[in-house]
Amino acid sequence: MSGLSRMRGALARGVLRLVPAGRRDWVAAVWAEAGEVPPGWRRLAWRAGGVRLVARETLQRRTTGVTLLFAAAAALAAWAAWPGSPAGFATSVDLADVITVVALLGTLALATRRLFGPAGGGRTAKFLRIAVYAAILALIPAKNVVEQVLDAPPRGGIDLRLYRLISGPGFGNHWKNEILFLAVMALYATAILWLTSQRARLAPATLVIGTVAGGALGVAWYVIGPLGFGGAPATNPWLPGSDVAPFMVVAVILLFAAPITAMVAAGMRYTALAGGKIRQVVAAGLLTSLTGALLATVSGTGTIAAMLSAPWLRDWLYRDHQLAGVAGLQLLLRGNPAALAYSHQITAATDAPPFLIICVVFPLVALVLAGFGSLGLAASVPGQPAAQTEVPGGDLSSGVASAT
Amino acid sequence: MATRSRLSAQTLSVLAALREEPSQWHHGYALAKLTGLKSGTLYPILIRLADRGLVEACWQDEPQPGRPRRHLYRVTADGLAAAAPVAQAESARPGTRVTPTGRAVVRRALS
Repeated sequence: MSGLSRMRGALARGVLRLVPAGRRDWVAAVWAEAGEVPPGWRRLAWRAGGVRLVARETLQRRTTGVTLLFAAAAALAAWAAWPGSPAGFATSVDLADVITVVALLGTLALATRRLFGPAGGGRTAKFLRIAVYAAILALIPAKNVVEQVLDAPPRGGIDLRLYRLISGPGFGNHWKNEILFLAVMALYATAILWLTSQRARLAPATLVIGTVAGGALGVAWYVIGPLGFGGAPATNPWLPGSDVAPFMVVAVILLFAAPITAMVAAGMRYTALAGGKIRQVVAAGLLTSLTGALLATVSGTGTIAAMLSAPWLRDWLYRDHQLAGVAGLQLLLRGNPAALAYSHQITAATDAPPFLIICVVFPLVALVLAGFGSLGLAASVPGQPAAQTEVPGGDLSSGVASAT
Repeated sequence: MATRSRLSAQTLSVLAALREEPSQWHHGYALAKLTGLKSGTLYPILIRLADRGLVEACWQDEPQPGRPRRHLYRVTADGLAAAAPVAQAESARPGTRVTPTGRAVVRRALS
């Protein structure tokens, strides 16, 4: 057998492995039949039909489709996030971010499938998985743009003074922050994969409630503080020059109100035994805070990154905002539009890292609230501890009113 | 029956071609010539028909020397039953999308 034939055989066997086991005979059948077709264009067309069949059967495998989708999204994120600068601490961090996040998300998807089982809870579960994965992947290029600005102090002049004044001691060797960021993202992905898995046994209604409440919370936080709350109120475009942030009060109220509302709604939807109800209530609260924090973080970091790359957006957002919150700044900025623009850039860039605090605090708040809620629910069922009242492997649809 | 009503004109032409000699095994290329369908269309139809139990498939026992074994197809009793009424309705309806060859096969099989 010639080398070419061996190579062709190996390629054919490799292609066949892509096709589900029950369909391999059919692909082999098309190939075997090609010998009966007159050589030339007709045979080529016949083989092309075989290739079409392979593509069709391969893409119909859900796991292959999802893997290809993830690979495409990861490649896009890596392409967008890959640092252009040759050296520097930010470049090392950016490279580590891209590689680690892609590897982490891929590994978690495989590992949790074995541990938690496939996605359950209908379309919302699948939507949530895709949305959270897309959000984490989208966060990496945005975060990298910000880090490249923070790691590039001006060489001198007024900009260097502004940089030192606004960013404090500088970017420094903050590997600990990076490890914390990666750990938080890993926990977010794991939590979402668990909540949306079959083994979590959450009702579709619970997932819908948590997603909607979390979306509303994230949008509200983004609208109130589109560039975050790290340097508030100085960097808030809606409150120029204000030392008081009344909207902050609204944001904090929402931080508590959104998960509580979701938990109450999930509890009202559930009509069966207490153990299952506690599960639904806790999950609804946690899901609200997770999706809300992630949405606010991705939107805010994305806006800061866009602002750093697009001067028109920066000018539109700030509209001659003087950054009165930073002491001694006004003197430097007076009559210097270029310095003013740079002060906006560096201030917003320093506000991006604190989004990590949001990602940590939101779920903690939800867990505390869920703890109180569970205690209240367990106490409301006299003589029936929660663990005994749960239906093992029970049909959720029997206990939850329809989400539609 | 819902299954029957979902059979496309192309699927019917394949069933009709198989009905011509229901006890015989047919090759894929012969079916393609009879129906005028390309391999990329014919085989997904055969797969669906086999999944529904309307067609049975097997590998040739004794291949010709120097040739790979060929896959063979035969209509089942369910396939015969499923094709007949719907094929009659299809042949009565003008504007069917089956090729002239395929339409002729359907007519012959129903005559």
